[in-house]
Amino acid sequence: MQRIVFASGKGGTGKTTLTALTARLLADAGERLALADCDVEAANLPIALRAEVVSSEPFTGGSKAVIDAEACRGCGACALTCRFDALGPSADYFRTFSYVVDQWACEGCAACVSACPYGAITMVESQAGEVMAAESGPGPMVFGRLAPGEDLSGKLVTEVRRCADGIAGEQAIERMWIDGPPGVGCPAIAAITGTDLVVGVTEPTLSGEHDLMRLVTLARRFKIPVAVVLNKADLSESGARRLRERIVAEGLELIGEVPYDPAVGVMPERLARGELTAYPEGPGMDAVRSIAAWLSEQGPATR
Amino acid sequence: MSAAEPLIGRLTVAIASGKGGTGKTLVATNLAVAASRAGSPVALVDCDADAPNDALFLAPEAPQVSAVDVPLPVVDESACTLCGACRAQCAYGAIRILGGRVMVFPEMCHDCGACVRVCRPGALREQPRRVGEVEWGRVPGGLAGPAGIDVVTGRLDIGEVKTPTVIRAARKRAEVLGRSLTVLDSPPGVACVAVAAMRGADVLVLVTEPTPFGMHDLELAVDLGHEMGVPLGIVVNRDTGASSEVDVFAAREGIPVLARIPFDRRVAEVYASGGLVIDEHPDGARWFEALWDAVRALAEGEA
Repeated sequence: MQRIVFASGKGGTGKTTLTALTARLLADAGERLALADCDVEAANLPIALRAEVVSSEPFTGGSKAVIDAEACRGCGACALTCRFDALGPSADYFRTFSYVVDQWACEGCAACVSACPYGAITMVESQAGEVMAAESGPGPMVFGRLAPGEDLSGKLVTEVRRCADGIAGEQAIERMWIDGPPGVGCPAIAAITGTDLVVGVTEPTLSGEHDLMRLVTLARRFKIPVAVVLNKADLSESGARRLRERIVAEGLELIGEVPYDPAVGVMPERLARGELTAYPEGPGMDAVRSIAAWLSEQGPATR
Repeated sequence: MSAAEPLIGRLTVAIASGKGGTGKTLVATNLAVAASRAGSPVALVDCDADAPNDALFLAPEAPQVSAVDVPLPVVDESACTLCGACRAQCAYGAIRILGGRVMVFPEMCHDCGACVRVCRPGALREQPRRVGEVEWGRVPGGLAGPAGIDVVTGRLDIGEVKTPTVIRAARKRAEVLGRSLTVLDSPPGVACVAVAAMRGADVLVLVTEPTPFGMHDLELAVDLGHEMGVPLGIVVNRDTGASSEVDVFAAREGIPVLARIPFDRRVAEVYASGGLVIDEHPDGARWFEALWDAVRALAEGEA
């Protein structure tokens, strides 16, 4: 199977727009794709493609410390052990002499459990999110929803991809497109690991260029080739020129330039509302079509 | 209380959003300048350590850099008895025993120190391992405002996953500077990374766009904000002037809309070239002065 991931470093450059539109265009041509939305903190691909959830599974992540206020004597041994500042005296400490856990800070290491002389701390497993399997126009889609504040987004991304791989295998689908998360940290690494191609979606802004180069460095570390889409290309002439030069200098392939075109920009929204009956004509849509054609010509990895 | 008066006491404002690319950096940098010009000493902390961009807009003079290290356990094999206590203690599966040796997997380690505590023969100790850096310096007075702005940037090393650690280090650095106003430019999302950037803020400003995607991701961010118990306000970016579901949602939840930045190509162009909208857009000063007013009102419980 061939796996392409749309990533950017910077958020809001048009990853989901490009994933949704090119997937639609391929679907129009009769192709079936498997889709995975790996932005588990803000999954927007299911909205753009009006995916209908078929099944969902809880994602149990780690555990969090819980203190039994009755057993706690308020000695503070736990707080001395905790590296995450997650333990402290309760608000009414001078009445209860007990400590409490800050759930936002606890990373579930359980160091406090062995530090507590009174056995007052236990670890309780928490539900960290959900993995959803859905059906959309271009094909099956898997996405995740991370519970607010959880620290397991990378693991959930891996779970989404595992589930998507399973479904694609069952349905004998040859192509998987992954809508990646912003950034270059834990979830981004989980999203690009083991893919055949990273499509770096960028914009001719200083931040867009800066963050694209961080993504390129990351992709190189994983030995994954990067193709670049320059979105909102005519927003800044000097910015676009600088990016083109940078792309050549870095030996990357520029597979398309999409002009700043509100008609293209609102398409995901219109898709999401079910209002898109025909594609708009114009340079923006032409550029998206040629990118879709380029992507559809990419065969499974030969490396 | 008017924004023209300097801030008394200290205030920490986090700029956040569920979705990437909604305009957090735009709002954070311009708000910092507006507050600084109104006479309050400001520290701007770029907590988007995966893709830090604030310093592209507000470049500090002669910045200083310090490395961010995490303690990584290393094994003294001559003392190790292969008892397996460290492996049993590790909540993250970062320690394995392979081929008669204890192996530590740095990318899975949360540097909680629990393994070192339970190692009876004392075969584990911790060594610093670099995961990123914090850069800080001052944008001099005059350009930014009478007092200047301290810009602190957390930057994750590519390929590392310890984004929250880098963010905490950047915030500690800003804490030391002791400015009246701290503006935290948060990473997108609602996971541990965003929590590390927002935790302890007095006011949370959520930047969104009036689309189904902005709406979906705003709800997630509001959930997180409510759970953290922070007063919330919304900035609607790329506002088309038409009423949207974001307005309906804000009214229903009783969350004040602090500012509206219109959908205007000129805003995008200024941003693309690394400029400040407050200076380079005819309405910029008005928007961000009003935002600073509204943020203060929210912090003082008047909104």
